[in-house]
Amino acid sequence: MSKIASKSKHFLLLGQCLPCLKQNASKIRVRKMVLDTNLNMYFRKDKIYFAHDPNKVCKSGDVVLIKELDKKFTTLITHSVEEVVFPLGDVVDPITGKKCVVGKYREQIDEANALYGKKETAFDYDKAPARGKLEGTKDFTHGVTYIKYHEGEEEQPFGV
Amino acid sequence: MLLPKVINLICVKNVARRLLISTRNYPGMKHEVYDYIQWVRPAKIPATDPLKSGDLEKMKKIDGKTLLLNFERSKLLENANELVKRKFSVELNPRKEAVRLYVDEMIKKVQRHDSDYGSMEAKLAKMTAVIRAGQVALEENPKNKKMKQQIKELIEKRKKFLKFLRRYDYKRFEYMLEQLDIKYMPAPDHFHWIARKEAMRSLTKRFCRNIKENRLDTYKHILQAQQLEFLENKIKNLEFIRNEQVECKVPVTITNEQINKVKKQYEELKHQREEEDEVRRKNEVRDDYEIKL
Repeated sequence: MSKIASKSKHFLLLGQCLPCLKQNASKIRVRKMVLDTNLNMYFRKDKIYFAHDPNKVCKSGDVVLIKELDKKFTTLITHSVEEVVFPLGDVVDPITGKKCVVGKYREQIDEANALYGKKETAFDYDKAPARGKLEGTKDFTHGVTYIKYHEGEEEQPFGV
Repeated sequence: MLLPKVINLICVKNVARRLLISTRNYPGMKHEVYDYIQWVRPAKIPATDPLKSGDLEKMKKIDGKTLLLNFERSKLLENANELVKRKFSVELNPRKEAVRLYVDEMIKKVQRHDSDYGSMEAKLAKMTAVIRAGQVALEENPKNKKMKQQIKELIEKRKKFLKFLRRYDYKRFEYMLEQLDIKYMPAPDHFHWIARKEAMRSLTKRFCRNIKENRLDTYKHILQAQQLEFLENKIKNLEFIRNEQVECKVPVTITNEQINKVKKQYEELKHQREEEDEVRRKNEVRDDYEIKL
């Protein structure tokens, strides 16, 4: 009975993907609010899960849905990535379903630009390539950075 | 005549002292590990350095004869004397006028429309231009502490803005990195000072891991070299046992399928090895050719 209860509790979880060193797994942080009975206040409590993800579907920062595996893949990998719910930096307004940037819809921004006369060199959503073009050259958010402790011959792209 | 000798002696003493400092003994440093592992402390990079700030490009040099910002539209200056024109050019004006030109150029690279000077793109472009101009100025004038502090704060602000931009509009963030030539590196999880003991521990771990991997690799190669011979023997033995069992009229425990399976394995492995050999030979020939060239 207890097994079934625990299973249903962690069956599907919503969490955020973090940069991870493992090759065919993604590190997912699931945040939960826990009540402190002394203060009568809720505090956040993080738990980290490793989800099997051989194709690297989710990238760091994405909000993803993970599902518990029937049988543990390894001692570490207990879940698998079900789907990417919200990719990072692609905010959708839940009421209208339109894409938005901070306080405005993308449409509104485009309209304003068109009225002023949009420049050719300006940023365009339709022409913009998918995320991950600058990975490893200018954008190092996909990996774990660390403070450099040794000056050696080998390159340290993630050493700060 | 004594003076040069004395100076010489002092110099020798100083050099010796410096050498002593550079190779000073920390407690526990006489351990034999130090024969194998050399730790080099990473040099400190100032916060305003392009290496730290992530600016992959330097400030563009502006020609001294270019007119000041917005002065190129002046109709009076068009017909003016050469000397007057020179008076309103970059070379006879303070540095900030050149910076102003550079800032304008950078903003125009990314702005949404001609009168856009306030969007996030324009802000980031302006900051980048000011930072790069400051970095060049600091190279010439490293003692300008006020400037150093301002540039440092601006770099941090730009990084914060980039962090926000990444969160709410990833594609625009990537566009900005590409246009302005900035490298974005998130801060490490936790800050800690670099210490000898900790660094040596991680280096030793890495050293041990390498040794383990090398030994495993060599052992793997030895086993792989014996693989073909082993399979050959296995086929022979299986066939021999089967023939004996048939001749002696004992219940036959080894089927033909088993033997065929091993034979197939043997042939596949042989084919694979031949292909690998060919690739290796080709590489060797190419290397020789390149060396001769």
